[in-house]
Amino acid sequence: MAKPRVGIFGLTSCAGDQLVVVNLEDELLDIVGAIDLRSFIMAASHPVEDEFDVALVEGSVVTGEDEERVKDIRAKSKLLGAIGTCAVWGGIPGALNHVGRNTLYQAVYGTEEDLFKAREARPLRDVVKVDFSLSGCPVEKHQLVQALLSLLHGDLPSFPTVPVCQDCRFKENVCLLKTKGQLCLGPVTAGGCLARCPSHNIGCEGCHGPLDEVNFAAEAALLEEKGLPRERIARVVRNFAHQADLARIM
Amino acid sequence: MLVKRPPTDRPVFGQTTGGEHINPSLQPDRAVSRILRKKDMDAFLESVKAFGSLYGPRQVGPNQYQLMPVGDVAPVSAECRRTILPPKKFLIPARDDLCHFSADTGYRAAEVYTGERVILFGLHACDIHALVTLDLVFNGKYPDPRYLARRQALAVIGFSGTAPDGNCFCHAMGTSHADRGFDLFLTDIGDEYLVRIGSSLGDDMMRARVDLFGQVEREHIDAYKERSDRRQTQFDDTVVEDLPQILELEHDSPIWRELSERCFGCGACAAVCPTCYCYDVVDLVGTDGITGRRVRQWDCCLFQNFAEMSGGFNPRPNRTDRIKHRYYHKQVHFVERFGRPSCVGCGRCVEACPAEISLKDVIAAIRGRSG
Repeated sequence: MAKPRVGIFGLTSCAGDQLVVVNLEDELLDIVGAIDLRSFIMAASHPVEDEFDVALVEGSVVTGEDEERVKDIRAKSKLLGAIGTCAVWGGIPGALNHVGRNTLYQAVYGTEEDLFKAREARPLRDVVKVDFSLSGCPVEKHQLVQALLSLLHGDLPSFPTVPVCQDCRFKENVCLLKTKGQLCLGPVTAGGCLARCPSHNIGCEGCHGPLDEVNFAAEAALLEEKGLPRERIARVVRNFAHQADLARIM
Repeated sequence: MLVKRPPTDRPVFGQTTGGEHINPSLQPDRAVSRILRKKDMDAFLESVKAFGSLYGPRQVGPNQYQLMPVGDVAPVSAECRRTILPPKKFLIPARDDLCHFSADTGYRAAEVYTGERVILFGLHACDIHALVTLDLVFNGKYPDPRYLARRQALAVIGFSGTAPDGNCFCHAMGTSHADRGFDLFLTDIGDEYLVRIGSSLGDDMMRARVDLFGQVEREHIDAYKERSDRRQTQFDDTVVEDLPQILELEHDSPIWRELSERCFGCGACAAVCPTCYCYDVVDLVGTDGITGRRVRQWDCCLFQNFAEMSGGFNPRPNRTDRIKHRYYHKQVHFVERFGRPSCVGCGRCVEACPAEISLKDVIAAIRGRSG
């Protein structure tokens, strides 16, 4: 059986998810040996971009170039996977979606001219059909490996969104939200990180993106009840989940 | 009906068939009591370590405890009302290999627990009832060898030394006192503990330091009774009598939707529940492409995909359905099947809920007249 042809791509993002691939030290050689890696510009020059069985795409769609690129990748790929919170939810590039791009141009470049044909950061699924998603900022090594191995076995990767709280309870962490009144987005955030931040007494920032069915309203109301300023709650929630419209839910 | 005996002579506590105890030594009329002076507790626990790995509650934060290995310093935490995770963590680990598979050699069941005895010190009556409840599930129609291996290696030293707090409602659930399901049970009666011996192993533990144990005198009996009377007054008036009937009538109450607006569906309540046992099974394949392992991991009925089936059909698609299902499973369906609710009133779900939802409040609301 021919090895599956794989391409790994990045749109507007920090390239952190692609870096996770390179950092799969223990598994990398096995995985690279099992696939035909045709395009991965972070690790190899001279990409071949004709057809892919699987495309892994990091980043959100912000510029006109992003949009053309992801549509082109989609057209060449049998399966397209969104890798990382930017690709799945819009992520950090969407944190200021509520502020107009002209205002942001002015603040960053001193001009309102549309330099990059940029608009609000969008997740891939708003632009092309996405076959599977793996969120995380960056994606978790163990989940990425399982995703790749599932694909090799002919299965679509599936990661049910279970809240961060689940792993926090497994670890018997003292609840930061309930016991210490800290700002923790664990109850509304997809887990998979094994509750990394709360395990170090740092409230969850929501980097894996929201749960599929998420109760932002209850989280925001609860945090405000605990005396946290509305603007701070709004800012943290928007970092990774610009979809949460605080004006509507609070 | 066939009495399901575990493969070794170590009894699984509380497993009954037709009201008959598996182990005759657990019959209440055979139980005996002794007296242990409080100052001798450390010495006694030290001697217990000869019988296995000793675990007890240790404080990890304000009013936060975990069942942890007992080191040289005795952990007797008389203030501990409940540990963050219940004893189930020793029986059904959060993640547990069921089998290993290979394209070449097929499926091979994962080894069951063969380690040394685990002795849990400091379990309150509610947690002991919870273990007995788990036995109903895992040693029922389909005995679970992984559970039974760990269960048979478990010894229980119960403890009653704390007044209930506002989250306790074991009294309402009928679990504030345990008459079986333990090897030893210690009750604080002032300067001493009244020690009830519940098994031959408990008897061995007592006899290993028989010098520390005294006979029960009239003063101890009176002290115990006085404490028992006092304890009756320390619980609030949560009423669960005929709750299954009332829940059945209030199936369409607006309370369930209101609850779902506050609930995150985070699953903390189920993770810390001593009787929540639902699990998911996933296959994790190896990088060689031909081997893998099948893993059982805790799941929760509040998660959106919990009941989702092939093709995406979900009988409980929204949070209102799921939160209602959680209450009905514990308080109605379990009663219909096993004759008692699976809730033991330990209060962990109340303590763990980040949204401050209290099962006691829900019960009170559902019993209210207006719905």
